[in-house]
Amino acid sequence: MGAISASAPAQAPIAASRWARRWLPWMLLAPVLVYLAVFYLVPLAIVIVSSVTDPSPSLSHYRDFFTDSFYLRVLSRTFATSLIVTICCLVLAYPLAYAMARREDTLVVAMLTVVALTFWTSFLVRTYAWMVILGNRGPVTALFRMVGWDPPPEILFTRFSSTLAMVHILLPFMVMALYSVMKKIDPALLRAAQNLGASPGRTFRHVYFPLSAPGVVNGCTMVFILCLGFYVTPVLLGSPREQMLAGLIGSQIEELLDFGEASAMAVVLLLVTLGLVALYNRFVGIDTLWG
Amino acid sequence: MTAQRRIDPLTWLILAFIAAPLLIVVPMSFSTAPSLEFPPPAWGFNYYRAFFSDSRWLQPLLNSFIIALGAAALTMLLVIPASFAMVRHRFHGRALTNLMLLLPLMAPHIVIALGYYSYFGSLHLTQTYAGVILAHTCLSVPMVFLTLSAALKGFDRNLERAGANLGASPLRVFRHVTFPVLRPAFVVAALFAFVQSFDETVVALFISGRDAATLPRKIFDAMRTEADPVVAVVSTLLLAAVIAGVIGSRLWQRRRKRVNALAFAMQ
Repeated sequence: MGAISASAPAQAPIAASRWARRWLPWMLLAPVLVYLAVFYLVPLAIVIVSSVTDPSPSLSHYRDFFTDSFYLRVLSRTFATSLIVTICCLVLAYPLAYAMARREDTLVVAMLTVVALTFWTSFLVRTYAWMVILGNRGPVTALFRMVGWDPPPEILFTRFSSTLAMVHILLPFMVMALYSVMKKIDPALLRAAQNLGASPGRTFRHVYFPLSAPGVVNGCTMVFILCLGFYVTPVLLGSPREQMLAGLIGSQIEELLDFGEASAMAVVLLLVTLGLVALYNRFVGIDTLWG
Repeated sequence: MTAQRRIDPLTWLILAFIAAPLLIVVPMSFSTAPSLEFPPPAWGFNYYRAFFSDSRWLQPLLNSFIIALGAAALTMLLVIPASFAMVRHRFHGRALTNLMLLLPLMAPHIVIALGYYSYFGSLHLTQTYAGVILAHTCLSVPMVFLTLSAALKGFDRNLERAGANLGASPLRVFRHVTFPVLRPAFVVAALFAFVQSFDETVVALFISGRDAATLPRKIFDAMRTEADPVVAVVSTLLLAAVIAGVIGSRLWQRRRKRVNALAFAMQ
């Protein structure tokens, strides 16, 4: 910074730019921040406040939630389902992303296009497709009948059908997360390992997999979080007797009009989700999650 | 790496698992069966006729278009200046602002839907276009912000300096240098916002009501209450739109690449 300046006017632009540097970003950010405060933080705050004040100020909703075995079962079911979906997505996406990352031809473009197509197709359309496939007049039941399993087992409106559909719906997220990391792995490293005498299995275990780990962490975090709060698919395809947390919040409002209890559950869901994001942020850094 | 390996059966199988289920909606839409029967017993355009002559389907479709356009425009207006501030300036509170801009992406939609249900109810914004647009704009902020800031980070500021050195005012530099270079990113970001709003279901279920019912809300209701085969028609139309969009964007990318290569070759 020029402490000694030849003339006063020369300092003016510097002063102006210093002022601008301080306030310009806030002027640019003000519209979106005010907007989000009014239309996002206020409704969020309403949920949090209602959970302890509706209908009267108390912590009874939380006490109910954490002592009632019905609610606790829903909570543990939500976690278990999210875990299963995440693992299935990883197991299916890893070999696919691996195969895609090791090619550079038109075929990989076609494969990426297929993944992009499913990614962009509405959750509802994909849920509907599974409703048809698993329905009691659909191809799967017909197959069961053909092999003599009659009457065929109920598949639709079970935990199985909603889990399967969620795996299908969230799979593109996992594939993209893995692919974007695997594509950057330098093949020379793999050749180096093999030249030094490592078997293909050992090369994978000690070189490739550790290098792809950021993608695995990314994809798993994203899929797990999306699954925790998933509403549409479990409600439409799942069993009404085996709800997940988001679905229970919905029916608490629709059927019981219990805004306080629904809010308490929403706060639990919010805290769990944000807790996981914070954990991710602590160890990896938030900016890479959707990079 | 470029060696043409054959694709092993496992990869094909996983790809088929991703793609095949979607395709089932296409034959379903040409069915004449009154229920979800596959394979369809007979073929026809009955359900297309039913869709295109029923205002209970066309009105939500129109509503969704209006709401998605409104939400995309509003999101762009809010986020463009913000992403310039976030990428080009270092200031106190930047990390916190970053979290704030990403929060709607992290918090489950059901949580905020519950908030809107009560908040917009007291503001008389439920069952209005304005209410749904205001809510969807919040949900689109993170994706638009991520898209724009990624593009801005890759922007070569020497181009702007060159413009300024040649005597252009900051506004002219933006109009003739910054904006044209970033235009593709702006288009993609706006498209993200549009699709996000057009597909958003949970918040729309809670606040759009009968008067501003969006297409996803109508589909959800149709799937929940009756196995309405018209859903197959809507699904097929949406799928066709996505296919057109994805292939269109691939062609656009390729053309842009060719133009860039040409510009490079001419230097």
